[in-house]
Amino acid sequence: MDAFNNFANGTVALFSDPLGIVIFLSGVVGGMLFGAIPGVSMLTLAAILLPFTAHLSAEHGIMLFSVIYCTGVYGGAITAILFNIPGSPENAPTAFDGYPMTQKGQAGRAVGAAVMCSAIGGTVSAVLMMLATAPIADWAISAFGPPEIFALVFFGLAVAASVGAKTIWKGWLSILAGLMIAVVGLDPVGGIERYDFNMPYLLAGIHFIPTILGFFAVSEIMVQAEKKVTGAYSAPKLSVDFPSFAELWAHKFAVVRSIIIGFFCGILPGIGATLAAFMGYNEAVRWSKERWEFGKGKLEGVISSETANNAATGAAMIPLLALGLPGGALTAMMVGVFQMHDMEPGPLVFLNSADLVWVVFAAMFFANLSILLIGFLETKTIINLLRIPFQFLAPLILMLATVGAYAVRGLVIDVVVMFVAGVVGFFLRRTGYSVAGIVLGLILGKIGEQTFAQAMQMLHYEWTGYFSRPIGLALLVAGFLTLGASAYRAFYAAPVQEPEEETKSA
Amino acid sequence: MGNLKTGHLVEAGLWLLLALVLFIYSFEFNKPIEIYKFGASGWPRAIILLIVLAALGQLFWHWKRGEGGATSKLNAAADDSVEAPDDHSSLGWYMHTLVLVAIPFIYMRVPDFIGGMMGLPPDGLGTIKMLTAAPLLVLFAWMAYRNQVGGMLALPIFFAALLQDMGFYALAPMFAMGVMYLMGERRIKWMAGVAAGVFGILLLLFVKLLYVGLPTGNVRPFYDFGNWVVTVLQ
Repeated sequence: MDAFNNFANGTVALFSDPLGIVIFLSGVVGGMLFGAIPGVSMLTLAAILLPFTAHLSAEHGIMLFSVIYCTGVYGGAITAILFNIPGSPENAPTAFDGYPMTQKGQAGRAVGAAVMCSAIGGTVSAVLMMLATAPIADWAISAFGPPEIFALVFFGLAVAASVGAKTIWKGWLSILAGLMIAVVGLDPVGGIERYDFNMPYLLAGIHFIPTILGFFAVSEIMVQAEKKVTGAYSAPKLSVDFPSFAELWAHKFAVVRSIIIGFFCGILPGIGATLAAFMGYNEAVRWSKERWEFGKGKLEGVISSETANNAATGAAMIPLLALGLPGGALTAMMVGVFQMHDMEPGPLVFLNSADLVWVVFAAMFFANLSILLIGFLETKTIINLLRIPFQFLAPLILMLATVGAYAVRGLVIDVVVMFVAGVVGFFLRRTGYSVAGIVLGLILGKIGEQTFAQAMQMLHYEWTGYFSRPIGLALLVAGFLTLGASAYRAFYAAPVQEPEEETKSA
Repeated sequence: MGNLKTGHLVEAGLWLLLALVLFIYSFEFNKPIEIYKFGASGWPRAIILLIVLAALGQLFWHWKRGEGGATSKLNAAADDSVEAPDDHSSLGWYMHTLVLVAIPFIYMRVPDFIGGMMGLPPDGLGTIKMLTAAPLLVLFAWMAYRNQVGGMLALPIFFAALLQDMGFYALAPMFAMGVMYLMGERRIKWMAGVAAGVFGILLLLFVKLLYVGLPTGNVRPFYDFGNWVVTVLQ
């Protein structure tokens, strides 16, 4: 009942605050739009908004990001279905059957199914998140010290490195590059300057906001600019024809299965929603009696993928809020929002800022419901907005990013750093590295080093001390097993075919 | 050589070179910390070691597998990399792009260098900055016309490099038009209209409503123009 009362209080707080309502609605529409527009994603919007959250309260800032997360994951499905361009990796399996449905003239059915299943998956996940996060945080307060947090960071980075890029090597190098960027500036124990190259700007470290803006907003514009110049950019077209409720009801088992898969995958640090979408889709294929129809435009494919990825959104908030560990790029940016308000995400947030947590939870619940409403009412409007030529959108995004990067500290050098990060991101993506991995490394690097130092001091520099701390030991072992398994697979398993082709041939 | 290609060797070489430079530089801050046994350099050196191991592991993997593919469905799913078009992956293209990207950095260094040689104070460099910017802009335009993608990569950095001196207010509309041109737009009226619209929205939102102070520049007449815009709006 506590959870219900807290949720009711959070809902009242959310909808009795006019600014909160405006931010909530902006997040719902903005996430959906940026998820839907080819060439930009919810991460672009989140990166642009990140500096401006300093002007909002922590509650509004985190709420805005969590709402964008929910609707952005759905918005990416629109581009996956219509143009075979997933808004983000978690929408990739949606394209396997969504795009063939578009080619068969059934785009409306696919988008409609995505709307309903995203809303269902996300809403159920939000409810489970509300029930689970507080008890986990309570437990974490007593059970988690620096050795456990370091072990958790290690495990999260091991998962992200192993599955977050094209190969384990590129995954690791991406994460390590992020960790190395985090080293620049003062060391967290003794305050000694590192890699400042005698430049005062680098003394405070490379700020994560220009870096994130560069990697996610600017590099994406550059990638799209190249496509535009080389003629690979395609204009959207669609008719809307939503499926009936009975048609969706026939897939109720697929929905429940994907919710369970999505939720448990979403909890894992690393790349929860992507794993969720793929496992949801794979299980749908495995359980189906008509598996040869997958990849050719089967509605169940869209349903399974979209339910699972939205089911992961609520789950991904659990490690962030209960343990302070971001699982992906967007939750890593949320850590940035917390830090800008001199807060650290983690179990203590429940003690010190319980109001914030429950407003965020209520917002996520209603954002998922909003997908249902806005998805049905506004999809046609979104489709019309998609017709805005990208060359007109790009200057707006680049200038917003400029203002955002400059506004953080009033330093032009931050704008230079952002655009250089954009160019670096452009070239790294060409060679298969993961910009999300770099950002995760950058954000977790500081936490990792600090907790490592504290853990070593606590354990008197003896690794065997972990044997008396079973949770930390389990996390370390899980991290090493993840690494070992992926290294083994890298050398001994056959490379996979492109997922789309593989599924089609199944 | 196994399945190794030149690109694989270059990639590994770059990582190892980076690791070497970072390792050498780590001696600059290799100081003990009384309360912490590993000191300030322990953590970065551990990361450097892992970078070396991962770079060598990747090289060995390339040697065994060639380009290879994703090693699992999840790796394939998380792969957000983009294929480089053939005409944008030659050594010539990379060199051309490198020169384009270097132009803004030339601007960031040369006026101070000349001013230092002439003994000018930092606030007396306005004319030198404009005289440096003009030929670099011409060179940039000429090179970007021939390599639009390279131009698109370098233009934002050039914009940022000029921002401190020329200010956001004077540069932003021209930057917007430059971006549109490099992305293939050729209708002047549309470009001017969109640039004015985008500029107007930003000014209203950030300068008029949110009072965000954007760089006004420090070189006349750009500085005067920036201040005039701020005065009119606020």
